[in-house]
Amino acid sequence: MLFHKKHQTIIIACILLVISLIVLSYSVKQPSEAGLFRKMVLEMAAPLVSAINIPINEVGTVWKRYLFLVGLEEENRLLKKESAMLSNELLQYREGYLEGIRLQKLLKLKENLNYQSIAARVIAKSQTTLIKTILIDKGTADGLKIGLPVVAEKGVAGRIIESSWHSSRVLLLIDESSKIDASLQEGRNQGILQGGGAGVCNLKYIPKTETVKVGDVVISSGLSGVFPKGLFMGVVTIAGKNEPGLFQKVQVVPYVDFAKLEELMVLLPDKDNRK
Amino acid sequence: MIYYLSLPLFLLFLIVLQSSISDVLLFGVVGVEISMILVLYAGLHLDVIKGGILSFVAGFFLDCVSGSVSGLHAFTYVSLFLVSMMTSMRISLDKTSLIMIFTLIFALLKGIIITILYSLIYRIDLSVNILRLYIPQILVVTLISPVFFHIFYRMDVLLQGGHAKQLKRT
Repeated sequence: MLFHKKHQTIIIACILLVISLIVLSYSVKQPSEAGLFRKMVLEMAAPLVSAINIPINEVGTVWKRYLFLVGLEEENRLLKKESAMLSNELLQYREGYLEGIRLQKLLKLKENLNYQSIAARVIAKSQTTLIKTILIDKGTADGLKIGLPVVAEKGVAGRIIESSWHSSRVLLLIDESSKIDASLQEGRNQGILQGGGAGVCNLKYIPKTETVKVGDVVISSGLSGVFPKGLFMGVVTIAGKNEPGLFQKVQVVPYVDFAKLEELMVLLPDKDNRK
Repeated sequence: MIYYLSLPLFLLFLIVLQSSISDVLLFGVVGVEISMILVLYAGLHLDVIKGGILSFVAGFFLDCVSGSVSGLHAFTYVSLFLVSMMTSMRISLDKTSLIMIFTLIFALLKGIIITILYSLIYRIDLSVNILRLYIPQILVVTLISPVFFHIFYRMDVLLQGGHAKQLKRT
């Protein structure tokens, strides 16, 4: 008992560290399996995010309004209110119009691909530090599964890395752990497009003997079988041969603006193509 | 018992809230890691079982919500909690400046641990990016830490029926 009391803290500390290390090593070895607990947390978090975002968005709006409207006269405020109401109405129509255009573009993209697709809405973004992911409102109940490609109207957005029943997490193109087979549209040189963190990617394994120009378009090569061939990924902004080694440094800016993502399309291979 | 029942709900709410604040109000530029402040507070004020479970669950939930590999933050938070707990035997944080320095050091430590683990798991060298990635986040967490230490202290008082315990560990 005395031993137990004396060493209780150390024993519990060791147990906690060991458990967390076991969880970590298991997840690293089995990256494709989102455990039941993880699925449940994701399932509970998705509606919570939506619920919490409503008041936070309101606070944001109030904050912005305060900044802009403070100090104005009463009459001006009334006129602004009326104008705001009308603007709001107009905004709603405009929002619907823009949404229609976006969906139309997605639909056109879908028609060009030999894939079935599921439209999904972005419900949360996590792009602060190392991990750059987004949460979408479709899950395994809608037929989604890990590894499926996700595209936006302008091109490749990323791929699904975990799915719960009604929500899924998409690893964005710009995440440092994202690696996708890609090629240059003009020279057809193939490489791996790896996320570079701060809104950019790096096209790796392009030999120094090849010519790459700023402005060259990068597309999916379709080699790994995950992404269809020919999807737009980004445009080359830096191409340099000053790096040591066999390959040149090619920096790519994605076509997709990840800060403004709202709707996406998850691609499912056609039944004929499915394994 | 109320503590253990309410803990998961509270932590999930806290972690979702901090992600939303970061995304909506700070435009996703800077992370506001309130959960890390809670872990440091737990290291100073809670016993090893309560604080350890809190740190593990908070880390696991953060892994789930942020999309990182399970156990990355769980291991980091448990490590931070244990170091914080060991530190609490030697120091007393009764001044705002001390709380800020304490948080600053632990936030840096957390950044280093995460970078090392991330490099080991994904074989990506992030050491050159560590300052760019973490300095804004560390500064924000340091600045808000006294406020949240005070809030957590009040909640601790409320949960423990009128007096927060400063447990003495020997």
